[in-house]
Amino acid sequence: MTAASAPPSARPRRPARSLAGPLALVAFAAITWWASSEEFGLGFDIPRLLTNLTRGAGILAEFWPPDFSVLPRTVGPMLETIQMAIIASLIGCLAALPIAFLASRVTSPNFATYLVDRSVLSVVRALPDVLYALIFVAALGIGPLPGILALILFNIAVVAKLLSETVDGVDAGPIEAARATGANRLLTVRWAVLPQVLPNYVAYSLYAFELNIRASAVLGIVGAGGIGNLINEFRRFFQYDALMVVVLEILVLVIIVEWISIWIRRRLV
Amino acid sequence: MIRFTNASVVYPGGVHALKNVTLEIPDGQMMVIVGLSGAGKSTLIRAINGLVPLSDGDITIDDVSVRKAGPKKLREIRSKIGMIFQTFNLVNRTTVLNNVLMGRLHGAGTMRSVLGWYKAEDVEIAMQALERVGIVEKAYVRASNLSGGQQQRVGIARALAQQPKIILADEPVASLDPPTSHVVMRDLQRINRELNMTTIINLHFLDLAKVYGERIIGMRAGELVYDGTGAQADENVFRDIYGRSLTADDVMGEAAAAG
Amino acid sequence: MTARGTSRPARPSQRTKHIATALVVLAVAWAVLTVDVRIERLPRLPGQLANIFSEMFLRPSPEWEYFGRAFGYMMESVQIAWLGTIIGAFLSLPLAFFGAKNITSPLVSNIIRQLLNAIRAIPEILVAVVVFIPMVGLGAYPGMLAIGVHSVGTLGKLAAEVIEGINPGPVEAARAAGGNPLQIQRWGVLPQVLPEIVAFWLYRFEINIRASAILGAVGAGGVGEALVQSLVYRRYERAGMLIIVIIVVTILIDTASGWLRRRIIEGGDRPSKASVSEQPELAELREESV
Repeated sequence: MTAASAPPSARPRRPARSLAGPLALVAFAAITWWASSEEFGLGFDIPRLLTNLTRGAGILAEFWPPDFSVLPRTVGPMLETIQMAIIASLIGCLAALPIAFLASRVTSPNFATYLVDRSVLSVVRALPDVLYALIFVAALGIGPLPGILALILFNIAVVAKLLSETVDGVDAGPIEAARATGANRLLTVRWAVLPQVLPNYVAYSLYAFELNIRASAVLGIVGAGGIGNLINEFRRFFQYDALMVVVLEILVLVIIVEWISIWIRRRLV
Repeated sequence: MIRFTNASVVYPGGVHALKNVTLEIPDGQMMVIVGLSGAGKSTLIRAINGLVPLSDGDITIDDVSVRKAGPKKLREIRSKIGMIFQTFNLVNRTTVLNNVLMGRLHGAGTMRSVLGWYKAEDVEIAMQALERVGIVEKAYVRASNLSGGQQQRVGIARALAQQPKIILADEPVASLDPPTSHVVMRDLQRINRELNMTTIINLHFLDLAKVYGERIIGMRAGELVYDGTGAQADENVFRDIYGRSLTADDVMGEAAAAG
Repeated sequence: MTARGTSRPARPSQRTKHIATALVVLAVAWAVLTVDVRIERLPRLPGQLANIFSEMFLRPSPEWEYFGRAFGYMMESVQIAWLGTIIGAFLSLPLAFFGAKNITSPLVSNIIRQLLNAIRAIPEILVAVVVFIPMVGLGAYPGMLAIGVHSVGTLGKLAAEVIEGINPGPVEAARAAGGNPLQIQRWGVLPQVLPEIVAFWLYRFEINIRASAILGAVGAGGVGEALVQSLVYRRYERAGMLIIVIIVVTILIDTASGWLRRRIIEGGDRPSKASVSEQPELAELREESV
């Protein structure tokens, strides 16, 4: 039907502007105002920010050049950081496997387990890993052990949640086939579900490892082992140039871990 | 008038996509280009509005060189050339009207077009373009909610909104079913006749080419190998252009002469 | 007719896989054997945790007014996260455009991406501790700035990837119609990428709430500071209340933000992009060219 053969249509009226856009903008502005106002919020405005920054810029000079003489002192704690991350990732990722299966409606034995598991995971994820570190330090004293435990906990929560969501989306076909052969739930999971989610599982585990490296570098600040302790010390004595060395080390470590993780993912999957 | 003078295009990989093409296209002509994939049809069409730069030779439009045009001049040239794409190239997330208004980008000024506050006259031009293709009632509908044929008509409207002197169409019906393809081709034909707009169309369905092509150009391996009327082009001609015997894929079939 | 003569295929070589696994096992073994952990303390753990837990949540007559203060602290953390995310979003958007290889040249975009990677690699808490607290002192400011700066890294990377993944069609159409570069970005690129990018901003906000809660541990304001104080001085009951407030507020914000993100993405095109915004962590996992 071309315009030549049909009568010309009337032009449509402009539809009423949907409220969603302007409403969102208003909400955004309101929240920002609330967050930055003097009375309710942080008392933030650009001029003050700039004056603060320019005044503080001088301090930045104290960071450079980095004081590499402290390098030997940092080796031990950095290694501890790496150890913590490795152990926590291992235990955490292994433990996350069954927990993830219990948290997915596809593989969970009954609704109650699924619900409880899912909720617990949400709650655990809602809290920062530093909090767990603090609690474990309170329970066990300082050292790498509380750090490892905290990382394990957070690790499980992250990987289990991601994995359970993946399991939710698996192809039901192989599961049906397994059941048809008379396999019980455990075997079904092992042979029909696990192979489907294995690549994702590896990816999530590597991701968790990267997170753990970053986190463990930091947990020491609250006493849970690793390089964080040394950071506190340097801070206390205003040894900013030494601090810079630590920062550079962490930077290098994180980047290397990312490379390794990408390499492994490419080979293994 | 569009004039090709020894126009050549060599892509960075070394592919010689256009070899020494010399051609004259008078105003108001409806020209169809046929040829196998990779024969240079797309390259030829995109060389006209500079989307693909020439490696050698020149193309002039009303004696203005495309190759020598600087960025600003090139934009000006493009604003007078409307282009229609095989995959429609609409902005899916926004309304039909906004898509057609993209044809007014050059005329509307940066400030207005970035904010979307087009002048009433620009909106009027866009509406008229939609009316001309018979789809104005969908003006405020999201582009992705339309059928393929409707989307292509929006594409045509967008080109018309530029108030161009030339229309380029790169395989405009390759993604459409036969009945819709005829509708679109008839629209293009009508626009060519009513508005006296030079229309250059890439087609790979030979039966369509015969029906709608006032003039047919055959490309093979980057070279111009045929130049004649639709009436003169028969199976042998096409076989020469293709360099092989014709297959069912080369014709659209289904009431090809339903025009 | 029987099929004869097809010999069984040899088992494909899994050498690289074996080597990779061996390396991983070695690394793990080293870590386990050399870590200096007083594992004898471990048995104490359940008892200790039970103690702490009961002191936190099972007190007979809790200090109810503290809830108000706890809420106030949490709100401060939310504000820090909000403003920090805004700073991060603002700064990251132009950087993302420059970091996308289909917008700028491969060289420029690579440099920008490496810069973004470097920023991402440093945890916020470190940025706060090392850079901003010395610069502007303790309090909410350095926390907000640290979150902002770190967010630029992730948001920039994610946005650049979204931009690199667009359909080039509308961009070509805008060029062909004679649009200038700004118009091309506005009508060819932006409509395709904005919903996903905004969804990432919201997701980042969710994460930053957790980050700002932590930052308090180093004196950068918010609920973290109160938490550390209460744990150090063994006022576990207060810690318990703070924890409850943190959980409730975080989950509420997560839910609201998740709903909003889904609405925004659904307002866009249908294809599987929706699953990316549901699991934004996956976006972080996508391989990048290193």
